[in-house]
Amino acid sequence: MALTALICDDSLLARNQMKKSLPGAFDAEIVTATNGLEALNVLRSQEIGVVFLDLTMPELDGVGVLEAIKAEKMDVFVIVVSADIQPEMQKRVMDLGALAFIHKPVNTDKLSAVMRQYGLI
Amino acid sequence: MTDLSFTEEQRDCLQELINVAMGLASDKLARFLNTFVHLQVPAIGLVSAAEIPEQFRGQYQGLNSSMISLGFFGDGGLRGETILLYQLDNAGKIAALLGYDDDATSEAEMLTDISSILTTTFLNGLADQLENSFSYAAPRIISSRDSDFISKLEQTAFHWQLALKVDIRYELTDYSFDCNMILLIPGEAVLKLKTILDHVLAEF
Repeated sequence: MALTALICDDSLLARNQMKKSLPGAFDAEIVTATNGLEALNVLRSQEIGVVFLDLTMPELDGVGVLEAIKAEKMDVFVIVVSADIQPEMQKRVMDLGALAFIHKPVNTDKLSAVMRQYGLI
Repeated sequence: MTDLSFTEEQRDCLQELINVAMGLASDKLARFLNTFVHLQVPAIGLVSAAEIPEQFRGQYQGLNSSMISLGFFGDGGLRGETILLYQLDNAGKIAALLGYDDDATSEAEMLTDISSILTTTFLNGLADQLENSFSYAAPRIISSRDSDFISKLEQTAFHWQLALKVDIRYELTDYSFDCNMILLIPGEAVLKLKTILDHVLAEF
């Protein structure tokens, strides 16, 4: 069965950019969330293989999502896709269990490199 | 009259481009000050330039505030002027972090440096995403401690049609620094910007 991937970003443009940038070899069903709370609802209600997670969002930010994933021991790969590129922020999300950190704006090259590294494509 | 208003898709697109540009500016500020900047979603608003002085009167009038203006010129007629507004008390804290002396000469120097970090980095990041490149006029400090702030803002805003307000709060580890950035854009550049945003939207 194909994997389900969750794209979580408050911007429609960013969600569309993400969808369009996914490598063709990535065989997954895509679901979306527009903030951290929505993302957690999705994660709690269905099997998600990988999350592409924005950090700066209303309601609940990406760090909050990572904290919940860790606390609830959810089995999911998280790839952070963020405009907040400060080294301290990168360290923080990696310490919280994110698999990789991609600087916005996202593109297929950046995504492919990371996804190949972790065997997602 | 030309329609300068933005569609919801154009607004969302611009918001995201601004978020990415802000991320670059915050990263630079964080490295410069050797601290961490807590980024929030900046609120953006598009208004008629004529409304700008009134909108900021309440927030800045009577306070020691400063405005730094920076003209930018891009390809294809995309141009405008940014104004960075903030209270000098806030700037003083940053000045201390940066090691500037507390005198008038270095104040001008410091304000120019902060403007360069916050505004130029931001605009370069925005230009990159718009597949454009901006060149800049020398920054002007158009108001300081004792001048009539709102009338200065009126004189500047008078030349432009549209204002893109970006309300920014830079929260550093030890304190917060509020400032407002205003991008003043002439009508024909607004049309150019809308065309570019549509182009970006069509790609995705």
